[in-house]
Amino acid sequence: MIIWPILSAIGRTLWLPGADGVSRFSLETYVFFFSDQYSINNLMVTLWTTGVCALLLLPICLPIALYLRFAKGRLAAYVQGLAIFPMFVPSIILSYAIIRVLGPNGTVDLLFNSVGLPKIRSPYLTPWGPVIGLVWDNIPLTVLILLSGLGAVSDQSVEAARDVGARRWAVLWHIILPRITNSILVAISFTVLGIFSAFTLPYVLGPAAPEMMGPFMQRTFRDLNDPTNAITQAVISFAFCIVFGLFYVRSVAKNRKT
Amino acid sequence: MAVLDIKDVTKIFGGTVAVERFNLTVADGELVCLLGPSGSGKSTLLRMIGGFETATSGVIAIDGEDVTRVPPERRPTGMVFQSHALWTHMNVFKNLAFGLKLRRLPPAEIKDRVEAVLEQVGLAGYGQRQTHQLSGGQQQRVALARSLVLEPKILLLDEPFASLDQHLRERLREEVRDLQQRLKITTLFVTHGQDEALALADRIVVLRAGRSEQIDPPDVVYRAPATPFVAGFIGTMNLIDGVVEGGVFRHPGLDLAMPVADGPATLAVRPEALGIAAATSAAAVIHRVTDYGTHAIVDIDLADGLRLKAMAPDARAWAAGTAVALSPQAFAVYRDNVAIHRAGA
Ligand SMILES: Nc1ncnc2c1ncn2[C@@H]1O[C@H](COP(=O)(O)OP(=O)(O)OP(=O)(O)O)[C@@H](O)[C@H]1O
Ligand SMILES: [Mg+2]
Repeated sequence: MIIWPILSAIGRTLWLPGADGVSRFSLETYVFFFSDQYSINNLMVTLWTTGVCALLLLPICLPIALYLRFAKGRLAAYVQGLAIFPMFVPSIILSYAIIRVLGPNGTVDLLFNSVGLPKIRSPYLTPWGPVIGLVWDNIPLTVLILLSGLGAVSDQSVEAARDVGARRWAVLWHIILPRITNSILVAISFTVLGIFSAFTLPYVLGPAAPEMMGPFMQRTFRDLNDPTNAITQAVISFAFCIVFGLFYVRSVAKNRKT
Repeated sequence: MAVLDIKDVTKIFGGTVAVERFNLTVADGELVCLLGPSGSGKSTLLRMIGGFETATSGVIAIDGEDVTRVPPERRPTGMVFQSHALWTHMNVFKNLAFGLKLRRLPPAEIKDRVEAVLEQVGLAGYGQRQTHQLSGGQQQRVALARSLVLEPKILLLDEPFASLDQHLRERLREEVRDLQQRLKITTLFVTHGQDEALALADRIVVLRAGRSEQIDPPDVVYRAPATPFVAGFIGTMNLIDGVVEGGVFRHPGLDLAMPVADGPATLAVRPEALGIAAATSAAAVIHRVTDYGTHAIVDIDLADGLRLKAMAPDARAWAAGTAVALSPQAFAVYRDNVAIHRAGA
C-alpha cells in the first residue's frame, strides 16, 4: 500500500512520455534537479534546517524530559503541560504567533524599542524563521519520546549509581544516556522525517529563495504546473528519508544485539 | 571503625509523619535489623542513612561526623536495593567496577578488587556475564558485591531478598551473616519478616508507625516484648484484654492471680506457655486441634468469642468440643503500652 505509490512515482520520473506518446527511459529530470543551482540550494537549505533543528531539539528537550522524569510535585505537572502545549497549536496559528512576537514590529521589537535598544534583525523570512517554528513545533513529540525512554530507567538504578559515588553528570553520562540511546534515535528520526516534508512553517516563516523542499514541491506542482519535476523533488526528499531510516534501523538493530 | 548515631530523627512527607523522633546507636561491626509492618518507616529510615532522603529534623552521624545533609554520592554508605538496581547495559564486571572507576583507581587494582569481591559472594568467574543472564539470587549477590567492593563504612540493605523464594532467601541470609561477620562491617538490614530478623540480627529495632517500639537483642524481643504490639508482632502470641481487681486478672473464662494494681490490663501468653487441663465449666472450649506431628496446636474459644492458641505435646489427648481450664505458665502483663509484670520463664 505504501510501496506502490512510491514505485509508481519513481517510475513516472524515469519513464517520460515522449512527443510521440511512447514513454522512454530517461534520467533527465534528475539531471535537471542536480544541475539546477536553485534546486540544489533548496535541498541544501532543507538539510541545513533539518540538521540545525535536530541539533537544537536534543539539548532543549533532554533537560525538559529529565526534569519531568525525576522531579516530583506540582511544578513538574505544569512544566509537562507547557511542554506538550505546542502539540495542540496548529502550525498556521503558531506561524502567525511567531511573526507577531519575533517579526518586524513584533512584541520583542516593541519591547526593545521602548527601552531604547536597536531593532532586532528579525529571523522572519530568513532560514532561522522555520528553524524556530519547527523546533517549537517538534518539542512535544521529542519530549514524549525521550520521556518514554526515561521511563525504563528505574529510580533505584539511578540511586544505586549515586550510592557508589556518581555525581549528576556521571549519572547522566554512564547510567541514563546509554539506556535511552534508542529513544534518542527514534526522536531524531521522527523530527528529521517530519521536518523534511514540513510545509506550513517554512512556507509562512521562511525566505522565498532558497526555500525548503516542502514549499518548493508545492510551488513546482501548483504554480509552475510541472508535476514531473515536483515528483522528482519528492523522490529525492524521500531518498534522503530512506537513507536516514536505514541508518536508524541499523543502529536500533545493533543496539538490540549487544 | 564505623559507628552510626541517629539522634532524634524525624521525617515528614507532606502531611505524613514517616519517622518520628527516632534514636539509635549502632556499634562498630554490629548488624541491626529494622523490623516492622508495611508503612512503618523502615525504608524511609534507611534511605535517610543512605542520603536519599533528608531528615526533616534530627542528626545522623557516622563515626561522629554529621552527615545529615550530605548527598549519597559523598556518604561512606553502601546500599543494596530490593530489586531492579543493577545497570543492565553493563556486564557484571562493569557494574562492580563503576564506583572504583569514578574514584580513578588504576585498572589493575580495579580488576583485583572486583575479582576478590566476586569470589567473596560466590560468583568468581561471572564477571563477563550480562546481568540478565543471572538468576534472581545471583543478581542480588552482584548488587551486594557492588556495594562491598567500595568498602563502605556502613552497609544498608532494604529487603534485599524479598523477591526471592523462601529457600533461597534463607541461604542468602546465612551468606550475608557470614560475610558481615568476616568483614566486621556495620550493617542495617530492613525486613518485615520476623524470622529473618530473629535469625540475623545482633539487635532488632521494632518499628510501628514511624516510632521505635523496642530495640533489643532477638532473644529479649522474643521473650520479653516491651509492648503489646511487639508481643503480637513477633512470633505467635495470645493477647487477652481484661481487668485486674484485688490482685486477680479477670477475663471471661480466665482468672489469674498477679501482683498488679487494679485497673485494665493486657495479658500476653505464648501458645507454648499456655497450659490446658480438662474441666467442667464451659467458659473455654476447644474449637479445633491441629496435629503437627512433633506437637499439636489447640484452638480454644472463650465465652466472649476470643480465640486462643495453646501448644500441646500430643494431639490425641484433646478433641474439639471439650471444655478446658487455662493456666498460663509464663506471661507478661501490659498497661498503657508498657510491661508492668512478667512471670515464668
Ligand atoms: N516519597 C514519599 N512521599 C510521600 N510519602 C512517603 C514517601 N515515602 C514514604 N512515604 C510514606 O511514609 C511512610 C513510611 O514508608 P516506608 O516506605 O518507609 O515504609 P516501610 O516500612 O518501608 O514499608 P514497606 O514494608 O511496605 O516497605 C508510609 O506511610 C509512606 O506512605
Ligand atoms: Mg520499604
